[in-house]
Amino acid sequence: MKKNNSVLLSTPYLLWMVAFTLIPLGVVGYYALTDPATGVFSLTNLQNLGMYWGVLWQSIVYSLISAFICLLLGYPVAYFIAHCSDTAQKILYMLVMLPMCMSFLLRTLAWVGLLQDTGLINRLLQLLGLPQMQLIRTPGAVVLGMVYNYLPYMILPLYSTIVKIDHRLVEAAWDLGCTPVQTFAKVIFPLSMPGILSGITMVFVPAVSTFYISQKLGGTDTVLIGDVIERQFKQGNNPNLGAALSLVLMILVFVCTGIMNRFGADEEGGVIA
Amino acid sequence: MSKELIRLRDLTMEFDGERILDGINLYINDHEFLTLLGPSGCGKTTTLRIIGGFLTPTSGTVTFDGEVINDLPPYKRQINTVFQRYALFPHLDVYDNVAFGLKLKKIPKDEIDRRVHEMLEIVSLKGYENRSVNALSGGQQQRVAIARALINEPKVLLLDEPLGALDLRLRKDMQNELKRIQQATGITFIYVTHDQEEALSMSDTVVVMDKGRIQQIGKPEDIYNEPKNAFVADFIGESNILDGVMLADYRVKFFGRVFECVDKGFEPNESVDVVIRPEDIDIVPPPQGHLIGVVTSVTFKGLNYDIIVDFRGFKWLIQTTDFHGVGSTIGIRLNPEDIHIMHKSEYSGMFGDYSSYSAEYDELTEDAEDEEE
Amino acid sequence: MKKTNRFLTILIFIFLYIPMFVLIVASFNTGKDITNFEGFTLNRYVELFHDEHLLKLLGNSLLVSVLASLIATVFGTVSAVGINALNPKMRQAAMTLTNIPMTNPDIVTGVSLGLLFVFIGTKMLGQRDSLTFWTLLIAHITFSLPYVILNVMPKLKQMDRSLTDAAMDLGCTPFQAFYKVTLPEIMPGIVSGGIMAFTMSLDDFVISYFVSGLDFVTLPVEIYSYTKKPIQPKIYAMFTLLFALIFVLMVAMNVMQIQGDRKKKEKRAVSDSKAMRTFKRVAAGFAAVVILVALGFGIFGTRQEQITLNVYNWGQYIADGSDDSMEVIAEFEKRYPHIKVNYSTYDSNEIMYSKLSNGGITVDVIIPSDYMIARLIEEDMLLPLDFDNIPNYSYIDESFKNTSYDPENVYSVPYTWGTVGILYNTKHVDVADVTGWELLWNEKYKDKILMFGNSRDAFGIAQYLLGYDVNTTDKAQLQECADLLKAQKPILQQYVMDEIFATMQNEEAWIAPYYAGDCLVMMEENENLAFYLPEDQGFNLFIDAMCIPTCAKEKEAAELFINFLCDPEIAGANMDWICYSTPLSAAKNYMDPETVSNPVSYPSDEVLANGSSYAYLPEDISRFVESLFMDVRNS
Repeated sequence: MKKNNSVLLSTPYLLWMVAFTLIPLGVVGYYALTDPATGVFSLTNLQNLGMYWGVLWQSIVYSLISAFICLLLGYPVAYFIAHCSDTAQKILYMLVMLPMCMSFLLRTLAWVGLLQDTGLINRLLQLLGLPQMQLIRTPGAVVLGMVYNYLPYMILPLYSTIVKIDHRLVEAAWDLGCTPVQTFAKVIFPLSMPGILSGITMVFVPAVSTFYISQKLGGTDTVLIGDVIERQFKQGNNPNLGAALSLVLMILVFVCTGIMNRFGADEEGGVIA
Repeated sequence: MSKELIRLRDLTMEFDGERILDGINLYINDHEFLTLLGPSGCGKTTTLRIIGGFLTPTSGTVTFDGEVINDLPPYKRQINTVFQRYALFPHLDVYDNVAFGLKLKKIPKDEIDRRVHEMLEIVSLKGYENRSVNALSGGQQQRVAIARALINEPKVLLLDEPLGALDLRLRKDMQNELKRIQQATGITFIYVTHDQEEALSMSDTVVVMDKGRIQQIGKPEDIYNEPKNAFVADFIGESNILDGVMLADYRVKFFGRVFECVDKGFEPNESVDVVIRPEDIDIVPPPQGHLIGVVTSVTFKGLNYDIIVDFRGFKWLIQTTDFHGVGSTIGIRLNPEDIHIMHKSEYSGMFGDYSSYSAEYDELTEDAEDEEE
Repeated sequence: MKKTNRFLTILIFIFLYIPMFVLIVASFNTGKDITNFEGFTLNRYVELFHDEHLLKLLGNSLLVSVLASLIATVFGTVSAVGINALNPKMRQAAMTLTNIPMTNPDIVTGVSLGLLFVFIGTKMLGQRDSLTFWTLLIAHITFSLPYVILNVMPKLKQMDRSLTDAAMDLGCTPFQAFYKVTLPEIMPGIVSGGIMAFTMSLDDFVISYFVSGLDFVTLPVEIYSYTKKPIQPKIYAMFTLLFALIFVLMVAMNVMQIQGDRKKKEKRAVSDSKAMRTFKRVAAGFAAVVILVALGFGIFGTRQEQITLNVYNWGQYIADGSDDSMEVIAEFEKRYPHIKVNYSTYDSNEIMYSKLSNGGITVDVIIPSDYMIARLIEEDMLLPLDFDNIPNYSYIDESFKNTSYDPENVYSVPYTWGTVGILYNTKHVDVADVTGWELLWNEKYKDKILMFGNSRDAFGIAQYLLGYDVNTTDKAQLQECADLLKAQKPILQQYVMDEIFATMQNEEAWIAPYYAGDCLVMMEENENLAFYLPEDQGFNLFIDAMCIPTCAKEKEAAELFINFLCDPEIAGANMDWICYSTPLSAAKNYMDPETVSNPVSYPSDEVLANGSSYAYLPEDISRFVESLFMDVRNS
């Protein structure tokens, strides 16, 4: 009797989520399948998608590279934080969190000031008598922007998995004859797999769909799928094509995270067994 | 005799199509200390939760003082519970935990104060009022849980494996303590445990349960001495259970021999289960024995030795104070009053063979661990 | 290994903090350029506190995020209790539903909610402004809820189920049991979920960007349009203050936690409920203050007796009081105190058109260009003006009446006019190369050339260069233009609109086609810049005029506003700042004589004879051009 009453508490939530997550996706589908001019059913938008495979591919490549770099940079940091004293851990954790709370638009804009041809870095080079470098409007700048913005999303989940690894397991590995490198490769790294996977997801998803970073730091040829969607809605006046592209992006992300989760579940199972 | 307080009539309980309780009929008298005893999954906790009001039975009725209370929510029942892992409120200190029920009843503050201090004195926790419950030892938490329940002056106190999380010494102390409190307050205790020793030493009445059914109800001595079936015989103490044939009243045949016994009232030539308690068996030199066997293992138990003796391929457990080495041949004698005869039941053949003695011990400890998880 | 890690960690932290450090330093800079520290000043902070608009936006952001996180926290906690009681199958379904907004890219969430609100509000209910504060709030609650649920659920699962049984056993009703036992137990999860929801909501840009209309905008969305224009240094000041605030809050929380831990270790025996109570009181007090402040902002912002007039105009297109100019909107509000102007900007006709045709918003005044006006008229998106309310219309020069786009003078009142030419940097560009539009294709200046980020102006340049009619409907010619633009793309630095100001002024780029008026503004800022009009090849001559779209709610106030801008004195002061040419000869009396005689603003009639106007293109051609341009940019 009591149980039934509590169950009812979830009903408004379920209705809310259906109304504001599932139905909107249905509306996106509806727009994707209608003609922008006439509003009747049409497959034109889906046929036009062909043009954007290159952009989509570019977005995937950039964001995978960013996720990978985030992992390379984030792992040592997370590992270091996880092995500090409790107080130091709290402080460093806060310092990683802090940038996430500040406007990412302005922080990205600051990179424009640093990277542009007349920016701080090139000025410094000039002062040192070194040749100027083309930094901004390169694929590298876009990847840098992604790494910069989403690195905390990698560090935090990594930290929370690494900090939970039982130190006795490490001692056990030593006891059984592992060198420090082997201990890392055979024990610590596999055990931090859940953190790695969730970190990669948390970097990949926002990176693959960003438009601001590529607009500010990219050039005319570093167009990402997010840019295209934004432009269809905000400038091109073709929300229908934009909706179709959004669907494609969503499916891509769900497939990727699905693979990730499957992979992750296997990994965890392997570790436990 | 005290008057009847609670009666369970044809109680059944199903979860997702699985039958947890199967026709429970039971009455509980006022001032009684009643124990529901059985292995994990036998339905004893479910029965307790139905009495407490946390579950509504699928069918059957619960009456309290003559009134059906099936749908009465727990907060309206004059029943309180001591939970398995105490369920103390971690955000409240000892005082507030104990005072919880009284505060809900809007009892004046100074009376609450008085009664909490009184109650803490009863459970020997005076001076612990402002401690955080997380900082208490298991035994102390146990006392807080009891105090918190008793302060509401319930008619019935339900105790769900209250000593399960304590170590052996503490458990013995608390058993005495609980018995003392029950006698002092006169409150009806319904006690759930899987520990037969605990059940036998504390209870006025023991209800042995298995597979959602009551197997036997009785005084502790009766349960031990006259188990109704192989399950009870095995669950309460150790038993060697053999196939036998009741030839006539007072005459039973097993192992190819006819023994004298004290039981009667069976059909002529009825197949029966014969129970022989390990401590009842007398060891004699082989020539004088009714049966002759070879010792296959010896375990020192402190008070006695547990020895396993092979009688023509059937292994018995015998408890003896004298040492008999492995490989030695011994004889045994059985007195008529040591032979208990039971009707065949669904449990026949499942218990009472000590061929895999150690394995069975493991199984029992595993059960206990499951309960504690 | 540890040493390497420490070194790397330090480097990473430097990497994470350098951009913020740059912004903080910039807030104390006397100069406007982030890359050049000219001197120390605190004026930016003074400016910030005098900028009602920014403070209002901050208030908006706080209002939405406080409300959204509070509602999400309460709603989410209750729902988590419900979900926890569901059978495993349903619980799985509920958690999958919860994970959708978590996994979905923000842009998809934003797009889907934006489309939903417009679809229901505009298409189904026929509302004009379906994108309001409420829809934004719904969006924020929707993406905040999962954070609360995902923080509370584990606490509920961890909680000993028998605790609630125990409470009911001791006499609690189910509700009392929840309040007295469950709630304190899951409180840490609720608090952290609520804090996460609050920060996510406060900082959200992407979803808000796709969901907000014009009348209620949050700070991040407005910052996005600020970062297109040359950014005002007071934004850096705001960043610095927010940084300081969040830093202090985080440190305070940390200190409290560390002290709490220590206390627990020292006197484990003593219950810390008293400290907790104090903390709760302080936290509740703080929350209450924030809510009151936010509500205060919200209520003051929308005082009932006032009419809110939504003006939607080009960026940098009205005198805003900077450089000793008249603050035109403030002046208008002073003259008509019952009207509150809500001013937002776009940076191309196409963006404005998208915003209007996507629906869901209400706008009272827009200032599109000629060809766009024709298109809006054709698509029935403009209201006929009541010229009795616009007596100042009589000041408009005759040559700007009976135009091709509005031959009957029904829908529009000219605001400015001008030409499109090439702005170039004389320091870097060889004057010998400045011969015509082909300068924009000159490989010598690779990566230093900017191009229009809107289809009509970009195609126009290609058409002048190829010698085609700028109003051609020949798809083959248009395709040829697209190919020409595609060929230009590799040497371009970027497609821009408002971004041009910052980029040309700081010499990041050297060559760009743009509107003459804006070019003059930039030339004032950087003396190396010069303007060139390709007279022989032809150039665009445009008129921007004020109109009232069909989605307007305050038509009379809009006409008052239009009339106000046609007041010669106001127009003169306004034109002095925006540097565009005025269609009111009478206004010239109130303007800087130097501007009036400047040939860039007011070329001779012979020169003007070579200019041509963009005319209305049929809708299918408009769409074709837009899709061609999208193709150019996205390929």
